[in-house]
Amino acid sequence: MKDQPQTVFVVDDDDAVRNSLRMLLKSAGLHAEVAASAQEFLATYETSQPGCLVLDVRMPGMSGLEMQHELNVRGATVPVIFITGHGDIPMAVEAMQHGAFDFLQKPFRDQELLDRVQRALVRDSEYRARLRHTDRIRERLASLSPREREVLDLVTQGKANKMVAGDLGVSQRTVEIHRAHVMQKMEAGSLAELVRMMMVVAP
Amino acid sequence: MTAPSPEVLALLEVTFDAAVIMDDRGRILAFNPSAEAMFGYRAADALGRNVSMLMTGQDRDHHDEHLKQYLASGHSRILGKGRDVLVRHRDGSEFSVFLSVGRIPNTTPPLFAGFLHDTTLRRRALDTLENERQLNRLYLDLAQVMLVATDREGIVRLVNQRATRALQKSDAELVGIHWIDHCVTPDDRAAARTAFRMVLMSETDEPQVGEYRVRSSNGEDRLITWRGVSLRNARNVATGVMLSGEDITDQRRAESEAHKALERMNSVSRLATMGEMAAGISHELNQPLAAIANYAQACVRLLRVPAADIPEVSGALELIAGQALRAGEIIRRIRSLVRNEDVRRESQDINELIREVHGLLASDARVHDGRLALDLMMPLPKVTVDGVQIQQVLMNLVHNAFEAQGAEHDGAAFEVRIATRATDAGDVEVSVSDLGPGLAGEAEQKIFEPFFTTKATGTGLGLAISRSIIKAHDARLSYRANQPRGACFYFVLPAHQETPP
Repeated sequence: MKDQPQTVFVVDDDDAVRNSLRMLLKSAGLHAEVAASAQEFLATYETSQPGCLVLDVRMPGMSGLEMQHELNVRGATVPVIFITGHGDIPMAVEAMQHGAFDFLQKPFRDQELLDRVQRALVRDSEYRARLRHTDRIRERLASLSPREREVLDLVTQGKANKMVAGDLGVSQRTVEIHRAHVMQKMEAGSLAELVRMMMVVAP
Repeated sequence: MTAPSPEVLALLEVTFDAAVIMDDRGRILAFNPSAEAMFGYRAADALGRNVSMLMTGQDRDHHDEHLKQYLASGHSRILGKGRDVLVRHRDGSEFSVFLSVGRIPNTTPPLFAGFLHDTTLRRRALDTLENERQLNRLYLDLAQVMLVATDREGIVRLVNQRATRALQKSDAELVGIHWIDHCVTPDDRAAARTAFRMVLMSETDEPQVGEYRVRSSNGEDRLITWRGVSLRNARNVATGVMLSGEDITDQRRAESEAHKALERMNSVSRLATMGEMAAGISHELNQPLAAIANYAQACVRLLRVPAADIPEVSGALELIAGQALRAGEIIRRIRSLVRNEDVRRESQDINELIREVHGLLASDARVHDGRLALDLMMPLPKVTVDGVQIQQVLMNLVHNAFEAQGAEHDGAAFEVRIATRATDAGDVEVSVSDLGPGLAGEAEQKIFEPFFTTKATGTGLGLAISRSIIKAHDARLSYRANQPRGACFYFVLPAHQETPP
C-alpha cells in the first residue's frame, strides 16, 4: 500500500507571512497548503490527510490554541508546529502542554523551520505506518478460524505443540496443521515475529 | 482801667467779622453784632465775662496763663498772627474760625482786639476735599492692581499701595522718579518705552495692554500685565499716563508648572500605553520581518538549482521590498507616537489620520481577539489639529474599548468602531464606540476625572489626558451611551476655516 503524499498545512492570518511560508516550503521541495484562518482550515481538513501543521498562535477569530483543542477533539494526530511572535512564550508553553509538536519564534531561519517540519513529517509518517501495520495485523487476526486463534494464543504464551494439544483435547498432528495455517495467515516467519505482532495489537 | 475809644467801637459795629476786645485780665470789653450772631450771646451778656468762655480745649484752659506770661515777658506766639481755632457757641456747639489777635496800640494796661472769621464752610469744604482725597487714596490702595500715574515725561506722580509694595519702595521714593528708568527691569525697558508711547499717542479710551517686568528694590522681578490710558487736559492734550498693572508672576509660574505636569503625565501615559501595546506592536513588526526572512530564504533555495526560476525569484524579491517598507512604516508610526516634540497644528484630513493608525489599532484588536471597524464619511472638511495627538487619543479610546469588553466577550469577535461624520454645523465628529457593557451611573459621572479607573490595572489618566488634548483643540471629549449597547466616546473638531488669499 503506497503512502499518500505529505502536505505541510500553513494557517496564518497575515497574507505576507502565509505566502512567504508557502514559497519557502515549496522551494524546499515540500507540498504546502495554506489557509487564512482556523475556520477555513477546519472546513476542509480531514484527519486522514498525512502531513503536519504550521500554525500561528495569535489569530483573530479562533486562535491557534483553540484550533489545537478542536483538532484534539476530532482525534486528529497531525503534528502541530506553532509559530509565535515575541512575547507569546506563555502561549507556546500552553500549546506544548496540549501536545504541540514544537514551536518556533518569528522570524526564524529557514533551516529551523524545515528541520522541524521534516521531523514532524517523519513522526506523522511513522505514526501512520505503525497505524497501518497494526491495522494489517488486526486484519490477519480476523482471518483466523476460532480454532486457529486458540492455537495462536496458546503458542504465543510459550506452550509447546504437545501442551497445546493437551489443552485443546486434539491430536498433536492437528495442532501442527493449525499452527502452520496461523503462521501462513499471519505472514509470520518465526514464532518470535508472531509474538511481536501480538504485542503490537495487545490491548 | 482803659476802655476802647468810641472810634474803635464804631469801627467794630460795621465790621463783618466778629470782633471782641478784652482787657489785660481777659475780660470782654466789646462784643460787636457779628460776634453776637456768631456766638449766640448778646453783647450785654458777654461784656465783663472772661473771653475763655468762647474758647475750647487747651486754648480755654490755658488762656489766662498765656496772657499772664505775655504781660510778664512781652513775648507772644499769638499776637499779630492769624490761626485757625475751634471756638464755642453759646449752645455748646463748637466751630472753627480764623482768629487774628492784636494789641491795640497806646493802651496801658493793654487792650487786645480779636477778629474772628467763620471758616466753618471753608473748613467743611476742605474736610470734604480731604475725605475725598482719603477715599480716593483708599480706592487706590484697595485696588487689586498696581496703579501708577506719570506725567508725559514718564515721571511718577502717584502710586498706590500695591505698587509701593510690589516695588518695595515708599511712596516718597517713587513719586518724582522716572518710571521706566528706575522701576522697569532693564531687559524690558525698550518694550516699556514703546508701550508708554503707544498709550500717550492713543486717541481712544480703550486701554493699551502690554506685558513687562518691574524690578523691586530688593532685585526681584515681577511680571506684570499693564493696562494704560492717557490722561488728557481740557484741550485734549495728553498730560500723562495712568497705568494699572496686574501681577501675573505667580499665575504664569503656576500655569507653567501645570503645563509641565501635564506634559509629564502625557509622556508617562504615552509610555504606559506603549508598554501595554508592546505585545501588539512587536507582533505587528514581526509579521513583515518573518515574511522577509521566509521570502529571502526561499530565494536562496530557488537559486541553488542550476536552472533557477528567475521570474519567481524576482517576484519574491519584490515582495521582500514591500515587506521591508511595511516594517519601516510601522516603525515610523511608533516613533511619531513616542516623540514628545513636534507639536504642530496642521490642516489635516481626519480620515487619513485614522487610517494611519489603523494598523497599530488593528494589532491591538488582535491582542484582544477583537475587530476594528472603520465607518468614515467622505469627503469631510479638513480640521486643524496636531495629528499625532489626535492619533494618541484615538489609540487610547480604542484600547479602552477593547479592555472594556471584559466578561461580555461571549465568543463572537468583539467589535470597536471608529466613525467620522460631518455635523449639521459643518464640523467634524469623531466617535469611538463599542458593544461592551457601557458606563453605569457613577462611572459616567467620573470617567473623565484623573485617577478614576474601572480597570484593575488602569492608571486612570488616559481619558483625562485625552480630554485635555481634545480641549486644547477647542473641542470637548464627551461620552454617550452607544446604540444598541456599549459606550461611545466622541468629540467634534471645528472645521478648518480657509483663509482667503
